[in-house]
Amino acid sequence: MSLVHRVVRWGQRKSPWILHFNTGACNACDIEIIAALTPRFDLERFGVLLKGTPRHCDIMACSGPVTLQIESRIRRIYEQVPEPKLVVAVGTCATSGGVFDGLYNVKSGIDKVIPVAAYIPGCPASPQAIIDGFAKLLKTLEEGK
Amino acid sequence: MTAGTAVLHILVFPGFLFLAVLGLAGEFVDRKLYARFQNRVGPPWFQPLADFVKLLGKENVVPEEADRPIFKLAPVFALAAVLAAFLYIPLWGPKSLLPFDGDLIVVLYLLLIPTVTFFLGGWTSSSVFATLGALRAITQVFAYEIPLFVALLAPALLANTWSISGIVHYYSAHPALWPVNLIGLCVAMVTLLGKLERVPFDIPEAETEIVAGSFTEYSGRRLAFFRLAVDCEAIVAVSLVAAIFLPFGLGLAPWAGVLLYLAKVLFLLAVLALLRTLFARLRIDQMIAFCWKVMAPIAFLQILINLVVRELI
Repeated sequence: MSLVHRVVRWGQRKSPWILHFNTGACNACDIEIIAALTPRFDLERFGVLLKGTPRHCDIMACSGPVTLQIESRIRRIYEQVPEPKLVVAVGTCATSGGVFDGLYNVKSGIDKVIPVAAYIPGCPASPQAIIDGFAKLLKTLEEGK
Repeated sequence: MTAGTAVLHILVFPGFLFLAVLGLAGEFVDRKLYARFQNRVGPPWFQPLADFVKLLGKENVVPEEADRPIFKLAPVFALAAVLAAFLYIPLWGPKSLLPFDGDLIVVLYLLLIPTVTFFLGGWTSSSVFATLGALRAITQVFAYEIPLFVALLAPALLANTWSISGIVHYYSAHPALWPVNLIGLCVAMVTLLGKLERVPFDIPEAETEIVAGSFTEYSGRRLAFFRLAVDCEAIVAVSLVAAIFLPFGLGLAPWAGVLLYLAKVLFLLAVLALLRTLFARLRIDQMIAFCWKVMAPIAFLQILINLVVRELI
């Protein structure tokens, strides 16, 4: 890797801005994601900021099973995020569809629609698990995988 | 001044590089203090640099509906205007790099240009959120700009000059007179929050209402330059306030002068961070009513005081 490449990689690792996107969750995982961003856990230590627009974000934190209604929307939001981008599936429903898998209005996990980089299971995933998942994902960037 | 030293002044010191380093450091100080006030650990020291580098490495998306030339040029103009303004402000010496009579007015108008580029950038990106943010930015200008101008012009009235270096020179010669402008200092600090679009006046980019305001459609390199422009604007504005309202200790040795200047900037940045921690966002109508009904009369009171003081001495 050239020096410029390495410096940009360092920047990506140290400054992951996230977009919180509910793909049809029951709200439990959303509350836990917000809890992870509060002063108690303070994700800004790792440079994580919550952004409102897909144009600013690097990591999409998606929660919930993909419902048929959200399917086209999640694709569009994903395409609006500038490269390089990563998707993290937060919660059991996001990883596999969970208890909603096979329901008439549910498509299943997020990886059936858009590529997912990391899975954080749990119902709901606790803030500690979410922080651990993000830390592990950023670590894989370090190794250049 | 030869062409070589002029380029050096513009690009390295006290131009682009110096201001950019100071701007990123200023953002760190602001975010760290904000975090500490909230009992958090806060970001590491390299955080603003990491954000900047990462944004440089990201894809640049230009919306199909956007007015391309203006959309692309807005961040460059914002940064250029801020840089140009910095050259007219005395930092630790009694003189700025290019002093002339009337540079106070020029600096105030140069500092207005970033807000205009926020409006143009937001308006031309033709997103609903960006358009709303742009309109709010331009509405807010008419509220905070009058008290800010009046507060900054009051010391000039007492010093009887329109040049910042002249004002600094006058207050160095009459050190007993600078506390007269303390009311103006308070008005300037409060209205600066509006200029820098910080809480409680972050109405144009209120992320819980209109996503990111004017910057909603900006990504990658252009967003990085907009952010750098905002950081540098904070430093330039704070340096201007320090030069006009805190003009003491300017005859010191260079190293002591630099340290004193940095201390002044740090103090004013800490005050801005404290104000942003203390308050929650106002509505746009509340903000305008506050600036016109409270801030503007206080600023005019400062003018009145300075006129009386000028008659007395």
